[in-house]
Amino acid sequence: MATDAATTQNRSAVEFLDVRELKKHFPIQKGFLKRTVGQVRAVDDVSFSVRPGETLGLVGESGCGKTTTARCILRAIDPTSGEILFRTKDDDVVDISTLPRGPLRELRADMQMIFQDPFGSLNPRMTLLDIVGEPLLVHGMDSRRERADRVAELLRLVGLRPEYMRRFPHAFSGGERQRIGIARALALNPRLVVADEPVSALDVSVQAQVINLLEDLQQQLNLTYLFVAHDLSVVRHISDRVAVMYVGKIVELGKSEDIFDSPKHPYTSALLSSVPIPDPRLRAQRIILQGEVANPANPPSGCYFHPRCDYAVDQCRTDQPQLEEIEPGRWVSCWRARDLDLPGLVATHSGNGSS
Amino acid sequence: MAENGHQPLLSVKNLKTYFPTDEGLVRAVDGVSFNVAAGRTLGIVGESGCGKSTVGRSILGIIDRPGRVEDGEIIWRRDVNGDMQEIDVTKQQPNSGLMRSIRGSDIALVFQEPMTSFSPVHTIGNQLMEAIRLHLDLTKKEAEERAVDLLNRVGIPNPAQRIHEYSFQLSGGLRQRAMIAMALSCDPSLLIADEPTTALDVTTQAQILDLLRDLQEQNGMAIILITHNLGVVAEMADEVVVMYLGREAESGPVDDVFHNPQHPYTQGLLRSIPSIYAKGVERLPSIVGTIPHPFNRPSGCTFRPRCPSFMEGVCDVHVPKFQNIEGSEQAVSCFLHHPPAEVTN
Repeated sequence: MATDAATTQNRSAVEFLDVRELKKHFPIQKGFLKRTVGQVRAVDDVSFSVRPGETLGLVGESGCGKTTTARCILRAIDPTSGEILFRTKDDDVVDISTLPRGPLRELRADMQMIFQDPFGSLNPRMTLLDIVGEPLLVHGMDSRRERADRVAELLRLVGLRPEYMRRFPHAFSGGERQRIGIARALALNPRLVVADEPVSALDVSVQAQVINLLEDLQQQLNLTYLFVAHDLSVVRHISDRVAVMYVGKIVELGKSEDIFDSPKHPYTSALLSSVPIPDPRLRAQRIILQGEVANPANPPSGCYFHPRCDYAVDQCRTDQPQLEEIEPGRWVSCWRARDLDLPGLVATHSGNGSS
Repeated sequence: MAENGHQPLLSVKNLKTYFPTDEGLVRAVDGVSFNVAAGRTLGIVGESGCGKSTVGRSILGIIDRPGRVEDGEIIWRRDVNGDMQEIDVTKQQPNSGLMRSIRGSDIALVFQEPMTSFSPVHTIGNQLMEAIRLHLDLTKKEAEERAVDLLNRVGIPNPAQRIHEYSFQLSGGLRQRAMIAMALSCDPSLLIADEPTTALDVTTQAQILDLLRDLQEQNGMAIILITHNLGVVAEMADEVVVMYLGREAESGPVDDVFHNPQHPYTQGLLRSIPSIYAKGVERLPSIVGTIPHPFNRPSGCTFRPRCPSFMEGVCDVHVPKFQNIEGSEQAVSCFLHHPPAEVTN
């Protein structure tokens, strides 16, 4: 996979993963002839980069395109346009979005996914050995013995007993199943792990165990995570940087503590303020957003957030803001990002708290 | 909880709801007691399988087969033309006229899944009007007016048009609002909300919780809020019941339970939630192990295999009784507070 000479310069800047102007539009078809009558802009011009060894949290409400973005990066679905540049093990930079089948298949060993639903993502008719060993088989580990050894090692790694190898998934609880899914994702020593809501189907007491496991594995195996989630406290705990999405676009991107402590986009601020805090003394003055999330098939003019935004001015109704770097490492897509002083978590939740 | 001298609206005493299945007996609810006072909010929290939804369904007498209330009483107190009536729900036939008069008009239920709790082949308005006319003696026209008014009260825009729409035409948040409108259609004195916001996004959740609080302020109904989300309980509840495997682990005023938890399970649960305020550099303290399978309940205290303060010879032999802690409004079932000698004698 030789890098195209013409684009070398452009690509040499890629540290690990660079997503550039990624778009995924789903056509809306109608009638007998399946004429395309519109486009659902699930992902609409998204750019961000992921650094090696970090955890980038991707947050947003349902339908904001965070899962679609993640799936495009793995090429589980083909993006409409844009570049997904990835630095491979051999220090080449490849564009995942246009990679032909063969090389893509090889590359997949480097990027793996952990799914949300631990019940739907494991084949009930396969034993753990087959489930965790399947990626090994696909990538050429033919000896059954070797596979069994590797599976045992993986199960130990995620905190399951290797003796369970011959059992079927139904014998395990939700948390244990999620561990199996993690073991499968790690089977090929990937460098990038895309975790799509990995703990949201789990009970609170088990959720903490799986979060700890993910963090331990990241340290041990030097993994890079793209962590897709809607639970903001989990995202804060695990992420180094956070990208907030709204209707197919990134509205804010920055270091985790900056985003949570001093959000620059009104949507981020409102999102943070809606999280119920498990402390009755902190019943906060919430920012209650009015109305509904915009329809990605028919988004409003200007800034997609303006109909729900308390700070909207005329410019917001007509012109679409671009994601701009307002401070080093801090990207915001809002016309008023520089002059607004928005309440972050500390501001909205203190004051009436006594502890 | 009946501190102001009034009788509580609802008293649940030692409720046991079991599901006899082919594989064995599932003790979904195994001895739960609490009171709900008028105008107050009781939060029932617990993880999956702790029996919190079964408690709610037992109160309404709508437990799915083969479940049945094995023991205990559920006393519902209502005012019928100035007379205080006490009805033990567990003694009534689930399909009796009396139960049907309680269900919907006295006690209403909001389900978790707004997607499936509406009929997709009837309009929202028709379903609302059906509920209204079942309990109140109104003409079609009056019922429609009331339906529009209800949708308006729960904050649905253009209610006069919306009543002609089907549930699938509404978004998740609007559908949950319509569900609440349906529950409120006969001015219930108790609203049981079973995971009312679990299927919703955080910003929509904040809207719905705000709505529930407003409505409670307006018509003074009591709410039983069943949820797994400790944040939602902290936000909404006056009193909390923490359940684990069909039993109460701890109960008390919300502030005491969250700031001074007495049961190791409550303590562990509260500690294991990542904080949104700070990135913990350290690992999340988690509760070891998993929730046991219902056919495989541990002897003694059901929490003991996961408990950091497990005492051998005590917790695995005796079953802790749910008792008040002296000098506080909290109650726990734990031998750390009530040594077994007190219990067995």
